[in-house]
Amino acid sequence: MAPLRPPPPLNNSKKRKEAPTNSQPNAPKRHKPTDHGQKTRDARTLSTQTTSKAFKNGELDVSAFVKSRAFEITALEEGMARSKKALNRRAFQQVPKELRRRTASHNVKRVPKRLRERGKREMADDNTPTVTARRRKPTAHMRLRLETVKKLRALGAKRNAGKDRVKPPVADPNGAAPKNPADSAPDQQQPVKTLAAIKARTPKVKQSLLATPPLPKAKFRKRQIHKSWLPTHLFHAKRARMTAPSASLWRFSIPLTPTAKSYRPTHRASHARGAVAWDMSYISTLQVEGREASLIGMLKALGVDEEELVGRQGGKWRQGRRVLEKFVFEREAPHDPIAPVTMMWCRDPAEQSAGTVEMEKRKRKLLLRVHPSAFYQLWEELLRLAKVAKPAVSVEDLRFEIGSLEITGPGGTEALLSALWPSHPIPGPLAKGDTAPTAMDIDSGSSNKNTVVEETWSALAGLTNPAVLPKNALLSFNVQDPRLHHPPRTIKLPRTETEQHKLLELIASWPVDTVQQHPELFDRKARQAASAKMPSQKAVNRRKGLAAPGEYPEPLPNDPQIPVLLYTTAPTNPDRGAPGRQSPKAGSWTLLVPWKCLQPIWYSLMYYPLSTGQQPRFGGLDQYRQSSFEAGKAWFPGDYPGTKAGWEWEYAERRKREAEWRKRPKGKRVNYKKVEVGEGGRGEVGVGWGCDWERLVGGPPVSHEGVEAAADAEKSGKSGDKSAKGVKTKAQEESQEPPQQAPPKLPHLTQLPARQALALLATPPTTTIKLPPHIHLPSALITIRLTLLTRGVPQPCARIYRLPSSTANPELRRQWLALLSSNTRNHTQKHGGKHAHPRNLPKTGHGLPQHVVQQRLAQSLLEPARAGEETYPACPGEEDLVGFVTTGSYDLAAGFGTGIGSLLVERVMGREEAGERHLCVVRNSGTGVARLGRWEVI
Amino acid sequence: MVRIKHRYLLVNILYPDAKHSQLAPAKKSGDNVPYTVQFRRPSPDQMNGGLLMRLIRDGVVELFGDHGSGKIAGSLQVKYFSSATSTAIIRVSREHYRLVWSALTFTTRLPRPVDQPCVIQVVRVSGTIRKAEEEAIRRARLSIRRAEAAAKSASVSIAGTASTTPTAVAAGEDDFDMINGIEDPDEPGDMDDDDDG
Repeated sequence: MAPLRPPPPLNNSKKRKEAPTNSQPNAPKRHKPTDHGQKTRDARTLSTQTTSKAFKNGELDVSAFVKSRAFEITALEEGMARSKKALNRRAFQQVPKELRRRTASHNVKRVPKRLRERGKREMADDNTPTVTARRRKPTAHMRLRLETVKKLRALGAKRNAGKDRVKPPVADPNGAAPKNPADSAPDQQQPVKTLAAIKARTPKVKQSLLATPPLPKAKFRKRQIHKSWLPTHLFHAKRARMTAPSASLWRFSIPLTPTAKSYRPTHRASHARGAVAWDMSYISTLQVEGREASLIGMLKALGVDEEELVGRQGGKWRQGRRVLEKFVFEREAPHDPIAPVTMMWCRDPAEQSAGTVEMEKRKRKLLLRVHPSAFYQLWEELLRLAKVAKPAVSVEDLRFEIGSLEITGPGGTEALLSALWPSHPIPGPLAKGDTAPTAMDIDSGSSNKNTVVEETWSALAGLTNPAVLPKNALLSFNVQDPRLHHPPRTIKLPRTETEQHKLLELIASWPVDTVQQHPELFDRKARQAASAKMPSQKAVNRRKGLAAPGEYPEPLPNDPQIPVLLYTTAPTNPDRGAPGRQSPKAGSWTLLVPWKCLQPIWYSLMYYPLSTGQQPRFGGLDQYRQSSFEAGKAWFPGDYPGTKAGWEWEYAERRKREAEWRKRPKGKRVNYKKVEVGEGGRGEVGVGWGCDWERLVGGPPVSHEGVEAAADAEKSGKSGDKSAKGVKTKAQEESQEPPQQAPPKLPHLTQLPARQALALLATPPTTTIKLPPHIHLPSALITIRLTLLTRGVPQPCARIYRLPSSTANPELRRQWLALLSSNTRNHTQKHGGKHAHPRNLPKTGHGLPQHVVQQRLAQSLLEPARAGEETYPACPGEEDLVGFVTTGSYDLAAGFGTGIGSLLVERVMGREEAGERHLCVVRNSGTGVARLGRWEVI
Repeated sequence: MVRIKHRYLLVNILYPDAKHSQLAPAKKSGDNVPYTVQFRRPSPDQMNGGLLMRLIRDGVVELFGDHGSGKIAGSLQVKYFSSATSTAIIRVSREHYRLVWSALTFTTRLPRPVDQPCVIQVVRVSGTIRKAEEEAIRRARLSIRRAEAAAKSASVSIAGTASTTPTAVAAGEDDFDMINGIEDPDEPGDMDDDDDG
């Protein structure tokens, strides 16, 4: 049956010994290649009998005949069973693609429900030891907790017993009294009435005070001593990797990444199909209240451009119809950058009716959202400004009062639509609840205009990219409790062309801008009312049980009206200069709701069955960074090392990477001292595991004698001294000092906004640059996006060099420019990775004409050098170091490696020569190969 | 994913003419071996999967030339051959199973080392080997039953030496099978037997 194998080649036939080769055909291999098919083949072979078995003494016989048939039957049956088993895969091998294998594969509960029974059976067959929660030996920590619980229970039982004993004697003397309604009722009612008449004084809101996190349930209190939980903590804690208990991020417990595999799925969900949502409640919210003029003055003092604030450009923003995101700076002299801040005004109901004088006098509210790492800095700054502002401005911390979430992806709008049912019933098919009195009482004003926002919102079904809406559009309305409509159902989407045309018209006209509706989210009472009125899950369940089958429960007048504020974030800069980024960038929705109302909305979102199949995914911090990286945006704080928060982040990252590095045995980690850094130099520039800004600004340790550098060194505690000895002493220092303590930021290190950076770069080198006096140019950073022109992927901490100048090193410069000439990723020829160019000799097909063959040969000869070849240019020297990559990886959106980093602007200013716009050389930390790249300011 | 489609032929080798057999059938010791057993006797030991393979290839070359042989060469495989029961399962690609079938049908003699007249009968063509195996099992059961019935009737006839009616009926049935050459036409009765077994 099996084909005969050729006889093994004779080894000794030759007299002369062959030269030793790497692959000796008959040399005993150390590892036999495993034949994966063998098992299947064995299972499939059927056993047979020889003919002699079918004879009895060499003669035909009925009983032997019958026996041989019986043997055949058993052989075939056995063979069928065996081959079935061989193909069979175990339940643990059949889990969906995105589930990680091998995590607790002894636990049946880790496989999807449909496979659980089978898994259980298989485990029982194999006698795999399993542990149930009941029988698990508690960990030391858990045992302590269990003991405490036991003690507390015993105490509670004692106390209860004591109460029971005490009660009867108290009840006995006038035991009849409570049973007599005539006696007791008037007595009790009297005080109740009076109590109802007296209105409890609403506690005065303390302004200019830091908010305290909400008091958690006693059960969870001990776990939130040094940090707070997001409203959706329980959801995430079950499904995501959270920050370590000892190392919370910004005093929050934040999901870092889902437990399921999610790098590629997140990219797909946010770009092609599906949706990704994040709980962004950790973003801090602040409210500033005062006259419009003084608030704008305050923002001006924070360094926001004046033309953005006043005049026509900021008109819609000032009316509360748009959102503005700006970078703010400190007010005092070094004008340190703080953070990007999202600002939105409260729309005023009586805008047109009031006179100009009144308008100027009236108080307005402004909401600021800022990343928690920069919250305190901004808070201090605002308090300082509020003190000097005239007329007075009050600052309020709304951190634990307003929660938020962000959702992106084509299905995001759809999912949000199903979760957010406007409280105001929409006229038309849903107008049943129109008679509910309170629904209309909430908002006074013209009733027909009352529902414009809600109608617009409901009409957005079918929108796949919020970036299509007017830029930074803002929507605010009240929604019902989403638990009433749980589980969510797929909404009706526009199918016909006319319907889609209507949607386009709506987006173009955007009627929301004409409405004068007061957003209730700015109103503390409304927020608190919504939170307080949220019914218990039990009550919601009861109502759902009473509703007719398949129907949602009717809205009641007493239902909470959750004020929400929705705004879109579109990518800031349009596609420009980034090759390979053809697809339009997806916008995202940001939803602000009262803190306590976020959780039910989150659950409605997460279980929404998308019209394209599946459910929205959730992301952690890593996914957020990934999505902003793929959109080509810088992420605060990581990509802003010039800010205080960014500096701290960088320091924390550096420590993490260093710990990783030190953990590895010496033979298996990069020896940074021996890295070839070009031109015969050895040893990584600065610390290998970080973006060494100190070294970049302060220069190599030789220049340490400089007065300024020495001063810097003294100030910052540790400076550019990063020689081997320096590292050691640093390590010793660090082991002594508290680990979380980041050293103060380099003085004068600052981050320039894109506009200023572009202006600086555009000025010709001959003219003297006019700069605001506070900017210390030698340490001003600009944020850039980087694409590599040939090959390679920039990693975080990669070093960015400028091309060597034509005076200092013309040869190296020429070599680098030669790479540019033909080997760039241009639009006509897409980046082809490894096989973009014929490396070896051309394919000489028989059909190819002679001239094509010659052409290819010539092309292959002229091809620029590749990494690893002798002619490949070396990395420029340290004098040409200009910056570091802060985020870098293979970009799934672009299709090749890109990065985001920062450059020292002074080193790249005026260095542009003809035809080499923004060229740079990028070398990953710890490697000797540099790559040609191009950067652009973002 | 595209799947390569095959056909599995379940094949029986039958020996209708007992006289030419090299093996001495138990004829002399009286006709106590029923014809159904002789008819589907074991193949000689030299007959194996490789020989069957050669037989098919030669047959196809003879009938269809190099073209036909090339067509089946890639996919032809003898999945199972049991000489004790003269049963085989042959795999061919779905497009060309008829070539193999016809080559089998036209075979009258087993090739050289065996060199015995035979009839090769394709009893089942199926898309999966599993169905072919199931059919083989069904047929094995059937032939067991038939051999047992025939043996019983024969022994009765020997013992009685008078041809009573039941034995005559049984012998007649056996004869009918023998004459017909087709051993078990697909009848509802067969199906019932199968279900019982």
